[in-house]
Amino acid sequence: MIKFIATNKWFKDRHVLKNINLEIAKGEVIVICGPSGAGKSTLIRTINKLEPIDDGEIIVDGMYLSDPKTDLTLLRAEIGMVFQHFNLYPHKSAIKNITLAPRKVRGLSKNQATDRAEKLLDKVGLIHRRDAFPVQLSGGEQQRVAIARSLAMEPKIMLFDEPTSALDPELINEVLDVMTSLAKEGMTMVVVTHEIGFAQKVADRVVFMDDGEILEEGTPPDIFVNPRHQRTKEFMSSVFHIPIFDANQEED
Amino acid sequence: MDLLGQLVNIKFYLLGSYPKGDVGGLLLNIIMALMALGLSFGAGALLGYSRLSCRLYIKIPSMAIVETVRATPLIMIIFWIYFFLPYIFGGNVTLFWSAVVSLAIYAAAYQSEIVRAGIIAVPRGQLEAALSTGMSRYKAMMYVILPQAFRIMLPSFVSFFVSLFKDTSTVFIIGIIELTQAGIIISQREPDKIYAAYVSMGIGFWCVSFAISRVARRLEERIGVFDLESIRPDACRDEFMLLPREKKTGEGMTPAACEPEDSK
Repeated sequence: MIKFIATNKWFKDRHVLKNINLEIAKGEVIVICGPSGAGKSTLIRTINKLEPIDDGEIIVDGMYLSDPKTDLTLLRAEIGMVFQHFNLYPHKSAIKNITLAPRKVRGLSKNQATDRAEKLLDKVGLIHRRDAFPVQLSGGEQQRVAIARSLAMEPKIMLFDEPTSALDPELINEVLDVMTSLAKEGMTMVVVTHEIGFAQKVADRVVFMDDGEILEEGTPPDIFVNPRHQRTKEFMSSVFHIPIFDANQEED
Repeated sequence: MDLLGQLVNIKFYLLGSYPKGDVGGLLLNIIMALMALGLSFGAGALLGYSRLSCRLYIKIPSMAIVETVRATPLIMIIFWIYFFLPYIFGGNVTLFWSAVVSLAIYAAAYQSEIVRAGIIAVPRGQLEAALSTGMSRYKAMMYVILPQAFRIMLPSFVSFFVSLFKDTSTVFIIGIIELTQAGIIISQREPDKIYAAYVSMGIGFWCVSFAISRVARRLEERIGVFDLESIRPDACRDEFMLLPREKKTGEGMTPAACEPEDSK
């Protein structure tokens, strides 16, 4: 479904993606984790070409991203994206946020789009908030509307760029629940997150990135419990807030 | 009082010598301001949008036009148009049109900057969100960016319109009998009431300018519903700087003292 071949990217002099090779199959849920500045967000944003790459190739659903003839609107219509800061349209109500793209891009009629949007709002548990404006919604609600907005295009792939990082702790679960149910329906998902619990439960594979490189990839237990690299070990110990290297300390 | 004495001239202030001659006075100022605004709106938006283009052959000419006009006093533009337009179109340009065209050129340059600033002020994430749902750049602009940019522009747009309205007084220099010129004529006709004449002109400009900004305030309140988080336009300083209303004394001064004390 998604294939990175020797992908490189620079921001001026900074080498932000170093020789990325990664293949993601249809229906797979991939979690990308790693310290901040590792290039996780950049990596996920290259998939729908919000960030162009400088070298190598990315093939998404048979479309070659380095080919200038690739129709980006077609590509992006098939890829949903959820952002850290939700990016809902503040001048539109929840329902209109969701119906906008299906109407303007897919050419759905108002009724068709509204029906679809209502189903999705129901799915994310917000049908009672259909006419609320983004400022009237909590962070968790905004993010769920944002997920519904992406799903309204019936994408083949969903990208999540730190979807819960800007949320209050008690609002995180409502968003993760929606994502979990989505994963169970067989959606191909690429998720950048620090929510290790979610990753363990849902991810088929975890990719650990540091300094623009993929250091390790494997099943959640591989990465979280038995990481091979020293760097991964350090990161995991700080994420779990437990000194996993020192058994004695745990007994204290 | 002199000022009340000007009431006999009120029709001349407001309409000029209208039924017998051309429309003039305050009404002419309003007409010129509205027409200049109407004519310049499209051009201004286009210029502002062109300045954001990545293509240099679009960006540089629009930049040159805007910067030239902005670096020129309005009175200069009025003279240029007054002298050059008849030269180009063969001497058949009325004073009125020459004035409106000058004001429109001037307005277009300033409006383009308002449009540009408005577009830039929309957060980048909005464009990304729109593009990521498969919208083209054009659709993203039309349905996502511009509606928001317009709300951001509104206050600067209104203050510009008020200043454009007042700037219409400059065209008296080419002999148009708008409010300023009307006042000058009256003050010359009745030199003993010169102060009253100039105060009357001021009152005329003030009333219309004030009315425009009141209407605009209402419009902003209606259109800005989504923006509950920002400071209300009529907020006073104590509210938006989160200053305490009562002056605290003694121990309450430091923020740290407000926090619950640690158990000792």
